[in-house]
Amino acid sequence: MNVDRRSVLKGMALGSLAGLTMGATLPSLGGVQATPGMGADRPVLALVGQGTRHSAFVQGARAANSQLQLQPLDNRLDVMLGLESRLRSSQSMRVMGLLDDASASLVIDLARSAGARVNWIGQHMAEAGQSRHYLLNTGMAEGCARQLSRQLHACGAGFTLNEERQGSAAPSRQLAGPARNTGHPEQWAASIGYLLASLGGRRPAMAPLVTASRTPLTGSFVSFSIET
Amino acid sequence: MSEQDTSLLPSGVTQNNFDQAVEKFRALLGDENVLLEQQQLMPYNKIMMSVENAAHAPSAALTATSVEQVQGVVKICNEHRIPIWTISTGRNFGYGSAAPAQRGQVILDLKKMNKIIKVDPVMCYALVEPGVTYGQLYEYIQENDLPVLLSFSAPSAIAGPVGNTMDRGVGYTPYGEHFMMQCGMEVVLANGDVYRTGMGGVEGSNTWQIFKWGYGPTLDGMFTQSNYGITTKMGFWLMPKPPVYKPFEVIFDNEEDIVEIVDALRPLRMNNTIPNSVVIANVLWEAGSAHLTRAQYTSEPGHTPENVLQQIQDDTGMGAWNLYAALYGTQEQVDVNWKIVTETFEKLGKGRIVTQEEAGDTQPFKYRAELMYGVPNLQEFGLYNWRGGGGSMWFAPVSEARGSECRKQAALAKRILHKHGLDYVAEFIVAPRDMHHVIDVLYDRTDEEETQRADACFNELLDEFEKEGYAVYRVNTRFQERVAQSYGEVKRDLEHAIKRAVDPNNILAPGRSGIDLDTYKQS
Repeated sequence: MNVDRRSVLKGMALGSLAGLTMGATLPSLGGVQATPGMGADRPVLALVGQGTRHSAFVQGARAANSQLQLQPLDNRLDVMLGLESRLRSSQSMRVMGLLDDASASLVIDLARSAGARVNWIGQHMAEAGQSRHYLLNTGMAEGCARQLSRQLHACGAGFTLNEERQGSAAPSRQLAGPARNTGHPEQWAASIGYLLASLGGRRPAMAPLVTASRTPLTGSFVSFSIET
Repeated sequence: MSEQDTSLLPSGVTQNNFDQAVEKFRALLGDENVLLEQQQLMPYNKIMMSVENAAHAPSAALTATSVEQVQGVVKICNEHRIPIWTISTGRNFGYGSAAPAQRGQVILDLKKMNKIIKVDPVMCYALVEPGVTYGQLYEYIQENDLPVLLSFSAPSAIAGPVGNTMDRGVGYTPYGEHFMMQCGMEVVLANGDVYRTGMGGVEGSNTWQIFKWGYGPTLDGMFTQSNYGITTKMGFWLMPKPPVYKPFEVIFDNEEDIVEIVDALRPLRMNNTIPNSVVIANVLWEAGSAHLTRAQYTSEPGHTPENVLQQIQDDTGMGAWNLYAALYGTQEQVDVNWKIVTETFEKLGKGRIVTQEEAGDTQPFKYRAELMYGVPNLQEFGLYNWRGGGGSMWFAPVSEARGSECRKQAALAKRILHKHGLDYVAEFIVAPRDMHHVIDVLYDRTDEEETQRADACFNELLDEFEKEGYAVYRVNTRFQERVAQSYGEVKRDLEHAIKRAVDPNNILAPGRSGIDLDTYKQS
């Protein structure tokens, strides 16, 4: 067998230098604009996977920040090493996202080794019109869980939510709401997108209300917010 | 910026004492290497275990860049009785991740000690610092066109040789038993001394990475899976790149085939016809690694039913068991060994052999072939998408490389996992005489009830396997104390006697492998 090790190496190098992802180039950070009124002047990149690229998560995120850059991502080695290289760069940026478990595990771990700061890790499961959420976050996310809870409750989407504050001695916060309406199965994703895109800034309004799409976002996902 | 909740301190340490230690850490390492803010510590606290993250939250994290700084950290920790949890790359995932064993421990992160000190392509060894990753080494070897192969575990590029070897991890090449291939380490002891094992204490020696044993007691093993020192350098042997490499798979359709597979394989491993750490993966390990998800097949709660497993096999051509192995050497050697291998499986009368030429770029063959040839990839992370939910704990009992034993262990594990509504996702990693029976206990951390079931399941696996005389070779930090109990009191007494001698203040990773002077026999 002739395993082409060179191609892997080249992939790593290219990934590091140019940030290649899914056949496309990561947007130049020079072209990513800071969002006015966000309370943070760093550009925001939203990482999405195959399942979340066209989801309510993106709708919600764009409602909070119309200028955020969307970046499809998969868990190929060259892609991940390219991302790590970006996280290590001295340029200040914020990376948020909603990805599958495998990709998110890698992204968060690479954020650690790159010395980035993480404000939010959310584990989400959506199935049969219900959603479950396990949040680990920092003081920057104060109020987010309550806002998510209020919004899901208001639209009648059934949910359970467990929130831990990083390092806190306080018991985790547990919230839940019964399913009263099956018309908004993706609201959780829109609200998470909205909350993450506005993290650290003002949240003047609620996330947009989204109705069921033909292919609802179901399964397991991980959300995160990372700062460099 | 939010600093860590002040109530989060190392066990037995007052706020005032902690603050004094932090000031000393800052003076020693610089402010940027003393991490106290919530957002700096959160990535160290992402766990996959069946407890709240709070149980494994660090109070601080330090990054050191030199041996002298590690010595300085140890000195401060002794002065203020600060327990430190050392990590290299922190990437053992289902074995605990980067989080400390006990809430409040200070993490000492050696990621910045990442120098490749030497790679000798003639004597075929490397000497590296703890922060060096396999990816970094791979790149170095490629850039310098060195005729050597790496061996690594499935997280490959992003993990590192020091952490994996110190945890007695394994890879998939003929050099897959990593601790066996380790040669010479440098360790900072709790009193600040710098100890070099093997030939490393001889001034001017050029055989530190050549000859393992040195003179007198050989202590290398004492520093693996332990808390007796902080490894700051490690040497290990590299496999010479063979002229010919021939990976192959043998697919078996029935779960009961495991008996014949192992009994046919064992002689080939013992006589070195097949020299590498062979893998025998079950259908769900294959499915996850091929990036299939459970949701594609069923939405029923509980374990995945047998008819679904059969459906996956029918749809994909995967077997109930899938054996991956490889031949290495000259063309003549490979030809002879290939003849022996094919005749063995033909004689067995079952098993479909798949070669590289037949498999092409299909997964999971491709990533297995790469791992057996030291080419990094992240394909196996797909396992985390099989069920989803972020829960993963590796249960890894050791088994004899005897068919009946493997069947017994597989059946026992499956019964317990199914009782708790979880899947049997497993592989056997085959050495000549032993097997690492690695089971990924996957579960959904968003579901509190399922998390409790996973926890109960893991405990029952430990209990029931112990009744049969089995024990795991490695475990995540939640269950370290429990596993230590399996190995008996005499061993534990000795381990704690050593701990008292080399680390009387109990500052180095208390709780590691159940070794903790503050808790052992204190009640």
